[in-house]
Amino acid sequence: MSPKSPIAPIVHPTGLIGHPDKAAPPLLKVENLAVSYGRIRAVDGIGLHVEPGRIVSLVGSNGAGKTTTLMALSGLLPLTAGKVAFAGEDITTLAPELRVARGIAHVPERRRVFAGMSVRENLVLGAYARGDAVDVASDVERMVALFPRLGERMGQMAGTLSGGEQQMLAIARGLMSRPSLLIMDEPTMGLAPQMIDLILDTVLEIRRQGMTVLLVEQNAVEAMRLSDHVYIMRLGRIVHEDSGANIDPERVKSFYLGADA
Amino acid sequence: MDYFGQLLANGLVLGAIYALTAVAFTLVYGVVRLVNFAFGELFMLGAFLTASLMLPEVRLIGVAVPMPGFSLPVAAAGAIALTALLGVLVDRIAYRPLRNAPRLAPLITSIAVSVVLQSLAQTIWGAEELRFPEFHLATLPPVVLFDSIYLSVMDLVVMATALAAMLGLSAFIARSSLGRAMRASAEDQMAATLVGIPVNRVVAAAFAIGSGFAALAGLLYAQTYGFAHSGMGFLPGLKALTAAVLGGIGSIPGAALGGLILGLVEALGAGYLPNGTAWKDAISFVLLVGLLYLRPQGLLGKPELNSAGRGSLLGGASDFGAVWLRAAFATFDGWLARAAAGGPRAALALLAFALLLGALVPSDYWLRILTMVVVYGMLASGLNVIVGFAGLLDLGFVAFWAVGSYLTSILFVLLLKDQFGVAPADIWWLLYLNLPLAGLVAAGFAVILGTPTLRLRGDYLAIMTLGFGEIVRVVAINWMDLTNGPMGIRGIPAPNLFGIALGSPRAQFFFALALAVLVVFAIARLVRSYVGRAWVAIREDEEAAEAMGVPTARYKLYAYAASGFVGGFVGVFYAHSQQYISPLNFSLFENILLLMLVVLGGLGTFVGPFVGALIWIVFLQLALDLPFVQAYPETRFALLGVVLVVLMVFRPQGLAASARVALTMSGARSKEAA
Repeated sequence: MSPKSPIAPIVHPTGLIGHPDKAAPPLLKVENLAVSYGRIRAVDGIGLHVEPGRIVSLVGSNGAGKTTTLMALSGLLPLTAGKVAFAGEDITTLAPELRVARGIAHVPERRRVFAGMSVRENLVLGAYARGDAVDVASDVERMVALFPRLGERMGQMAGTLSGGEQQMLAIARGLMSRPSLLIMDEPTMGLAPQMIDLILDTVLEIRRQGMTVLLVEQNAVEAMRLSDHVYIMRLGRIVHEDSGANIDPERVKSFYLGADA
Repeated sequence: MDYFGQLLANGLVLGAIYALTAVAFTLVYGVVRLVNFAFGELFMLGAFLTASLMLPEVRLIGVAVPMPGFSLPVAAAGAIALTALLGVLVDRIAYRPLRNAPRLAPLITSIAVSVVLQSLAQTIWGAEELRFPEFHLATLPPVVLFDSIYLSVMDLVVMATALAAMLGLSAFIARSSLGRAMRASAEDQMAATLVGIPVNRVVAAAFAIGSGFAALAGLLYAQTYGFAHSGMGFLPGLKALTAAVLGGIGSIPGAALGGLILGLVEALGAGYLPNGTAWKDAISFVLLVGLLYLRPQGLLGKPELNSAGRGSLLGGASDFGAVWLRAAFATFDGWLARAAAGGPRAALALLAFALLLGALVPSDYWLRILTMVVVYGMLASGLNVIVGFAGLLDLGFVAFWAVGSYLTSILFVLLLKDQFGVAPADIWWLLYLNLPLAGLVAAGFAVILGTPTLRLRGDYLAIMTLGFGEIVRVVAINWMDLTNGPMGIRGIPAPNLFGIALGSPRAQFFFALALAVLVVFAIARLVRSYVGRAWVAIREDEEAAEAMGVPTARYKLYAYAASGFVGGFVGVFYAHSQQYISPLNFSLFENILLLMLVVLGGLGTFVGPFVGALIWIVFLQLALDLPFVQAYPETRFALLGVVLVVLMVFRPQGLAASARVALTMSGARSKEAA
């Protein structure tokens, strides 16, 4: 596990500065977001500020509404209320595939790689929204540099990979769209401890390369250690937020266990 | 050898056409898991459009319209493009709103779309055949292979086109970006969306390609056989679906293989089997039933496709359409639920009303129509047992009806009257014996036919039962000694009780009503028993039912048996009230009509089938007073189709959804009504 290294500012293609900077405008700004399944309100009016070049985590117990929030952000679920702005643009009603083109990539829960297609095809599909065929090959090479394991498995069906390899592929597939914001839903779920370390290291590496990460992680302690900012969700609301360094693990525990703070 | 070679060549031509259509079914099924029955009709439209574009002038809806008179390749390209466009339009209107709906809904819409397209084609191009214009390649002398096999140049063109189209499609799917996106969408629509694939557009592309293939197959078929007709797509459509299932639906090489096998088996069977030409339609369905029994996923298919799909076949709600419209449906549903909850008192009131109607309606004509309403209501109730209560889509129900009708007709007319000279009036009591007997025989049939389908679910089940229904119909047409073949059986005696003829329309109506009381009472007792609860459990979630210890196989067979019993039972009365039956009475279309009536009136309710039959049959008659309908009677079927599509799109769980729940689970209604 690499320590949190001091990171040099990186100028991102969108023109945003990739270093924690209080003055920078948020890359993702969510106001009063609400999502309902029928009569059940799964997310009940939350607000998020994700500043460029940061790792922001959403933690909370099962049923808190984290995955629902992410799915709403990438346009898979319709909003009941609220507003979502990305890089200064209102994307509240934008179709999901257009959000990918704007620079939001979502690595879904349980990976969901295309099991019947080869690793290479999965990666090439990741670049679908970009429409520039020229650089796809060089990006595939970049992914191999990031995850050498995938290089050995290029022609193999994605469904035959191990869980950890599938997670690498899912992340790589997300990166193929050259996003400025990478949304990751439980990337370490069900993985071996060594693999978890590798994946979390990758999250840091992704930020080092100038991207912003919005992370949902079951392992709250790791998430807090990794993140610049943490939101704690409970029953569809944000009950606490603070910078990753300041957050008190004991308080987090009390939120998980259900005591009101 | 010459003969064999010639049959082989014919089989290859037919196989190429089946394969092209099978590709359409398989492509769309692969991407959205929908059996689009309407491909048979797009096949027909491809033929009509090509023929029209090739002619200098066509009569459309009775009006002469000048046409460009293109040559075949240009006309074909135009027809394929138009059909592809129509396919996309159909997807947009009838299927896309139902993408997340319960499985039965899109199946029913696709059947309804099929009926609409066929009726419209008949309205536009007329009921007669349209001769397919000659193309100059077709006038060239045939190619002779090995000095003995004659192939026309067009036969070679058909085969080459089919081969090129399929190779092209395979390469497109494997290599192109859109093809990759199609495969990704087929695997996981959510993940496909997340990598930025516009899934709806990809599905539309699949529909466009599929419809284009169907149109290509249709125009080649029409070119080969020399005509286009509004009903021409029906059987080839079924065969192509069979071919797709045979090869493993979802697999393109499988579709090609299945089409080829089917074409060859049919051509060789027609050539070598005794009276093979007559039986050739049955061969493919026997093959299908056999294969589904041994290898449900098809020759090249993946096993997981034969799964139940999403939960309940009927549950779920549409999020499509305006809020007020959905609210209106919900209110209407609430009324139906309250009416259905009226119990015995409401049932008695309904019966009294029917009796009063029977006693007071003065015209014999309307009494006959009301009798038909009751008969169709009963038949629809029988189908409702299996579709509405057990949630198994059965497209072979007419077979049971046919068994009942034929049993009593053969006994009364062909055996006792013609062979032994017994006057029907002397053995009037045989009718009352035949009613339960035919019910039992049909139930036996149902169990025999049901057993191999037990392993199948959803779409596969529908296809298999459809195969069974067609086999029974082909047998009825061709087993001349038993059924009198297509001439049918005449002179079936009217019902008679202790020597009193019950031939008058009024007496027949009351007779039918008495049977209906029996049928509804029996079904109601069954549904409210332990058996009925097991059925509903299977309907709502088969896996959960199994996990809860419901022996699903046994209860599915009970459902088949009960449904078959009703079909046979009512079939006996049907034969005696019509006094003439022929295989035409028991076509797949009748089955589709019964299904539409059940859906219209409310699946899984007791009154629904009768409501549907009443609305439909009375409308059928009333509409005849309109001059337009007199000229184009088939437009009524188009209207029924449109009504069903609209109903499914806005209310995929069907009318009377809350009534359906309240029927078997007391206490559930209050929650639904809230």
